[in-house]
Amino acid sequence: MPGKTRKTPLKDADRDYLALGLEGSANKLGAGIMKHSKDGAAIVLSNIRHTYITPPGEGFQPRDTALHHREWALKVINDCLTKAGVSMHEIDCICFTKGPGMGAPLQSVALIARTLSLLFSKPLVGVNHCVGHIEMGREITGAQNPVVLYVSGGNTQVIAYSRQCYRIFGETLDIAVGNCLDRFARIINLSNDPSPGYNIEQEAKKGNRLLSLPYATKGMDISLSGILSAAEAYTQDKRFRAQGATGDEDTITPQDLCFSLQETVFAMLVEITERAMAHIGSKEVLIVGGVGSNERLQQMMGIMAQERQARVFATDERFCIDNGIMIAQAGLLSYRMGYETPLAKTTCTQRFRTDEVHVAWRA
Amino acid sequence: MTENWHSVTLNIPFASEKHALIAKQVIEVDSELQFHVVKRTIEVDGHVLIAAFSTLTVRLARLAANAFLENVDLVVRTLERFGEEAENPPSS
Repeated sequence: MPGKTRKTPLKDADRDYLALGLEGSANKLGAGIMKHSKDGAAIVLSNIRHTYITPPGEGFQPRDTALHHREWALKVINDCLTKAGVSMHEIDCICFTKGPGMGAPLQSVALIARTLSLLFSKPLVGVNHCVGHIEMGREITGAQNPVVLYVSGGNTQVIAYSRQCYRIFGETLDIAVGNCLDRFARIINLSNDPSPGYNIEQEAKKGNRLLSLPYATKGMDISLSGILSAAEAYTQDKRFRAQGATGDEDTITPQDLCFSLQETVFAMLVEITERAMAHIGSKEVLIVGGVGSNERLQQMMGIMAQERQARVFATDERFCIDNGIMIAQAGLLSYRMGYETPLAKTTCTQRFRTDEVHVAWRA
Repeated sequence: MTENWHSVTLNIPFASEKHALIAKQVIEVDSELQFHVVKRTIEVDGHVLIAAFSTLTVRLARLAANAFLENVDLVVRTLERFGEEAENPPSS
């Protein structure tokens, strides 16, 4: 088993702590309030989110996404406070996503966080988006020391914790798996409501053929852009029928392609996760990030885990998909270890590696 | 070199000096994306926020002023929504 049980550096809470978390790195605008109570419990007081959904065939661009966040943020924050029954005066710290993500949307949320900080004289805590996912996954599932598969529209990483750092064992060499799926959804004109990945998952259930796609694991890493091109090439094939099954032999339907794409990329993800597990002898897998809500991925990971006498942990879409509460959770853990971000340093950054964060709250 | 640059000055009055200072401190954290060709100063005079831009091209003057005003708008709406509550802390 990896890691002897060391005493956690995070001291017991001497009182109740409340944190407001604000997230806006992609097309989801989330606000959440987390409470760390004196008895050691972490309670989600509220978790409100509004998603910017584009028409079918279109992705979300930075400018429009930033406009969406600026339009919706104040309402979402207000609803969040009301639902939690808490006022800004009672909050201990305002946590916001420092990065990684899209520049203009991140900055829009940071401006609001700074304004609230100065209005109510509350400290700011800049949070790494990936660490937010990990900490929320740990808190909700109770996984002790899992290999983490972080899969979303913007990130694809295999992470394991060691000595106060979330170390990246494997990752995508080009695009994220969620990005691959989303872009394919655009190619076949699927709806983006509630999310393109969800609709691909539903279409995949109706697929019948497993079409040959490149299987591109590169050691501990994966490459996805070639697979996307190959899937797109099938839509130009003379056997492709965009409207679905026709009853003829040898047709290729969008459902077949969704199914084939999922099976291929998910198998690759399971493989690189298993490599990391074998490397460190782990018996736990935690799946976080928006793509983690895909039930087929959870199922395939479960099959691999069972063969290794290991367990899979996953959360539901409330916590998997980008949200404010995960920022509050990671931020509050930092804050309780004495970390604050001075105003002048509350800039946002599009590139923020998971392993840049000093995980002070773990042994 | 900057004699032939374009300049734009924006004066934005706020409800109070406190709010104008908040706007200044919030917006000045992010430096201009093209800081070599866009020079910016942000000051407060009483309750008025004063932003002065000096840019190499007219296009940059438009972009810088536009982005600044959008940010001011966001800060103003946040102050509008939460300003009163901030002035009235619960007595406990």
